[in-house]
Amino acid sequence: MDAYAVSVLTNIGLLGFLALSAYLVLLAGEMSFGQQAFFGIGAYCGGMLTAMAGWPLPLAALAAMAAGAAAAVAVALPTLRLRGLYFAMATLAAAEMARIGFELLHWQVEVAGEPVGPDGTQGFRGIRWVFEAGLAPEGYAVLVWTALAAVTALLAVAERARLGATLRAVGEDPALAAALGLDVHRFKLGVIAASGGLAALGGVLFAHHNTYIEPRNFDVMLGVHGLAYALIGGLGTVFGALVGVALDVGLLEGVRVFQGYRMIVFGGLVALLLVLRPRGLLDEETVRWIGRRFS
Amino acid sequence: MDRKAFFLIAALAAAPAAAQRTEAQLECRFTGTDFVYDCALRLERGATPIEGARVTVGADMPSMPMAHHVRPVEAKPGAAPGEYRFRLALEMPGEWAVKLRLDGPVREQLVLRYEFDDKGARPAVRRARK
Repeated sequence: MDAYAVSVLTNIGLLGFLALSAYLVLLAGEMSFGQQAFFGIGAYCGGMLTAMAGWPLPLAALAAMAAGAAAAVAVALPTLRLRGLYFAMATLAAAEMARIGFELLHWQVEVAGEPVGPDGTQGFRGIRWVFEAGLAPEGYAVLVWTALAAVTALLAVAERARLGATLRAVGEDPALAAALGLDVHRFKLGVIAASGGLAALGGVLFAHHNTYIEPRNFDVMLGVHGLAYALIGGLGTVFGALVGVALDVGLLEGVRVFQGYRMIVFGGLVALLLVLRPRGLLDEETVRWIGRRFS
Repeated sequence: MDRKAFFLIAALAAAPAAAQRTEAQLECRFTGTDFVYDCALRLERGATPIEGARVTVGADMPSMPMAHHVRPVEAKPGAAPGEYRFRLALEMPGEWAVKLRLDGPVREQLVLRYEFDDKGARPAVRRARK
């Protein structure tokens, strides 16, 4: 396969984790503009563990997911008492604090005669575990997509189970869910922790794909895109978030005619869809219609 | 072991690793067509020019790393030893992380941060946050 197609596929897979994490929070009835912070925490944490401490990638990924989940809970604990736009603004502020934290993070160790580790605004070079392991770009794309497929399958199964129904109930009418005996606050905390872990997994894989990360990688643009992907793709199914990524990165990136105007096209598409289909392309009604057609 | 001998051994052990570091210098000239640049890349390892490498060059925008991503191009050997030339077609001016992948006699992956505009390209400068 063409090297460019492989890189686009890998990017779709990596952004897929971020979109899925935003989708989970949306299903819980909240809108987060801060998922990029957990993506960044995953990238930094995973990169530091493999490049500085010599951990293998799978172990570092697990640790980074735990760090992402813990960070998400730390943000959610004080902010979940807010609602709607106030919660969205609070998550955005938390993400900016995390980005500034990355800019202030200077911690380098000597590895093979070279300083390796985060160097504030100068970034973090030398995250070479995958490169040193000799994994070709095609192999890495397979790894990313395998992880994404596993996560998507897990979420799809959970959606069809009681857990999914509970999540939608909490998201759509928290007062009614609470009246039915659900601990809405604790349930949302769990969902937000899972979304943080998911974003962190994407971050670890991104850092090892790039070999270099910097605080600017995790600014508000990334968070807005992650949220937009979930909203465009639709809230009716977990696959919606991935459709949103594929539409932006796959279609707009692939069709070079949009080149300089891509952000305008993407912004217009988001605005248009929010007016015409407020719950996205694959909303609940469409998913039910598709289900009836194939059952 | 006395302290001097220890430091001598440590320095000797570190020397080959330091000598193995790949250095890359990039110069780009604006072609006059929007966001298209003709670039010359010089590659060295331990002051020795790297010749015969297969160099693939891509670029990402640091502020939106996976969404603004240009098609990688293969660099061709230039006239000088260790020099490679390629044309880079970006999506917009601004800061780009130029990603170099080297295969052949040297296997390496490097990321260079450059600021591109209608005057050409120069290394991106970042102020440290205190």
